[in-house]
Amino acid sequence: MYDEQRLIEILGVSKRFGDAQVLHNIDLYIRKREFVTLLGPSGCGKTTMLRIIGGFEMPSEGKVFFEGKDITDVPPYRRRVNTVFQKYALFTHLDVFDNIAFGLKLRKLPKAEIEKRVKRMLKLVKMEGYEKRAVESLSGGQQQRIAIARALVNEPEVLLLDEPLGALDLKLRKEMELELKSMQQELGITFLYVTHDQEEALTMSDTIVVMNGGRIQQIGDPKRIYDEPKNAFVADFIGQSNLLTGVMLEDGTVMMAGKAFECVDEGFGTNEVVDVVVRPEDIMVVGTDVGMLEGIVESVLFKGVHYEMIVSTGEARWKVHSTSMQPSGSQVGLTIVPYNIHIMRREPAPAAQEEGEEM
Amino acid sequence: MKRRLYATPYAMWMLIFTVVPLLFVVYFAFTTKSGEFTAANFGKFFRPGNLPVVFDSFRLAFLCTVICLLIGYPAAYFLSGRDFSRGQALVVLILLPMWMNFLLRTYAMMTLLEKNGVVNTLLLKLGLPPQNLIGTEAAVLLGMVYNFLPFMILPIYTVMKKIDRRVIEAAEDLGAPPMKVFSRVVVPLSVPGIVSGITMVFMPAVTTFAISRMLGSGMIYLIGDTIEDYFINFNNRNVGSALSLTLMVLIVASIGLLRKADPRGEGGALW
Repeated sequence: MYDEQRLIEILGVSKRFGDAQVLHNIDLYIRKREFVTLLGPSGCGKTTMLRIIGGFEMPSEGKVFFEGKDITDVPPYRRRVNTVFQKYALFTHLDVFDNIAFGLKLRKLPKAEIEKRVKRMLKLVKMEGYEKRAVESLSGGQQQRIAIARALVNEPEVLLLDEPLGALDLKLRKEMELELKSMQQELGITFLYVTHDQEEALTMSDTIVVMNGGRIQQIGDPKRIYDEPKNAFVADFIGQSNLLTGVMLEDGTVMMAGKAFECVDEGFGTNEVVDVVVRPEDIMVVGTDVGMLEGIVESVLFKGVHYEMIVSTGEARWKVHSTSMQPSGSQVGLTIVPYNIHIMRREPAPAAQEEGEEM
Repeated sequence: MKRRLYATPYAMWMLIFTVVPLLFVVYFAFTTKSGEFTAANFGKFFRPGNLPVVFDSFRLAFLCTVICLLIGYPAAYFLSGRDFSRGQALVVLILLPMWMNFLLRTYAMMTLLEKNGVVNTLLLKLGLPPQNLIGTEAAVLLGMVYNFLPFMILPIYTVMKKIDRRVIEAAEDLGAPPMKVFSRVVVPLSVPGIVSGITMVFMPAVTTFAISRMLGSGMIYLIGDTIEDYFINFNNRNVGSALSLTLMVLIVASIGLLRKADPRGEGGALW
């Protein structure tokens, strides 16, 4: 697990490219040995954030601190940070060994030391014996491993990873997720990971930073982000959700889909309009006689572990995940327990969401 | 396979204007004026009086290539870092000379360097003694560099433009300051462009005869001039052909050596 000490601190960072504002006044800190994921849809500013920490972009406003020192103006080659780039960006004119040794040679380490460290890295990423291979002869997954080794061999304080698994197939991606996580724990290095894949984020992170429209939507550990999304965007982006508009009747009672439901949320104003999120797996399919809602199954999809059904209850359509299948057209009852109803204060929709170009 | 059809016009062109003439050259080179077989024509190439000419041609072509590389490489590097949707003027400046016929360019150079040319007039106005510019090796070299420089810049520029920005960033990220990024990443990755550029400058430079004739005013005599003399003035196409053929083999050999630096031919192989 991570220390309490703050390694990187970002204060009031904004970034504009021409007329497009990509980041709005971001505050964020990353603790030593923490695995932090910046999660958001493309154009949310997460990659720009990473590039500012790497030193490839200058913030238009705000400051970046590393161990308390202002590094906003420090060029990339003097930062104790290394990056795994989105499409690996390996040196095609060098073989595998020289790719990994690039940073060590610049630091003029003795030859034997370089050799030892490169060997150790190749072992870590399970690529022993590939020293003399041309990087272009490697598969995507292998290139990925070399890119990780090339960065990690320098023993950076922080490893920045920009959608490193994006180009890999599903099975390999799942494997690499686990490997990355165990490498991070083994080496005790701070990871800052950028992805648009919520599953990746949930699997690996200590802390997830959900971003949208150049703003941080929520910061928290995976469980908290999943169970207690702070707003409709987070709820919708993390996992599949049923997102409804409701009205708080009183503390512990919400009106939605034409019915009053018991819930656990308090402190909203009477008759306040709210966003309500219910996860598909939190809706139970029961007999029509005992259900809180009654509806007709509109469609059924087999998803492997579960079935995904769309159930229409007249006032609303629900996405329901269940291990037992109800045929399309059948009448079913639906039940939701109070603590699975997530009530969120309505946020004034951010005026004109800037679509920043993903850099 | 149908695509082959599209190459027909070019194949015809090549046949009529390259293959057939080349066969003639080979035929003439190995025959006497009366049409009997001989290898004696080739002896003329290695004749003591001709060797200094061959040497001078290769030396000047080599110097010209080196100067073009020294000027062209930094220029290409500079240009490749620019966004030309805005900075169009720079490209135009580099390319402008290429849009003009090279004889015109060389004539222009002549009027600059002549005894009563622009440069000397300027020198006189400044109260300086006029210089003997035309008819020197330097003048010929200047003319060659002036004419061939764009052929060095373009292939290098093209290859540099293709270098992924992220690869540059990766080098910076791994601790390389700008000079190291240049020497460890940009230069090695632009080798194919360099090879192409050298080829495209060296080949025409070694065979030039118009530039040496116009700016050398008879004082500088190169192998291209020799070949021209045999064909036109001495009316001996047999020796002329033999000289051409030998020169061709020498050029192909020197370029072949160079190709080893770019085995994959990424710079756009010329043969």
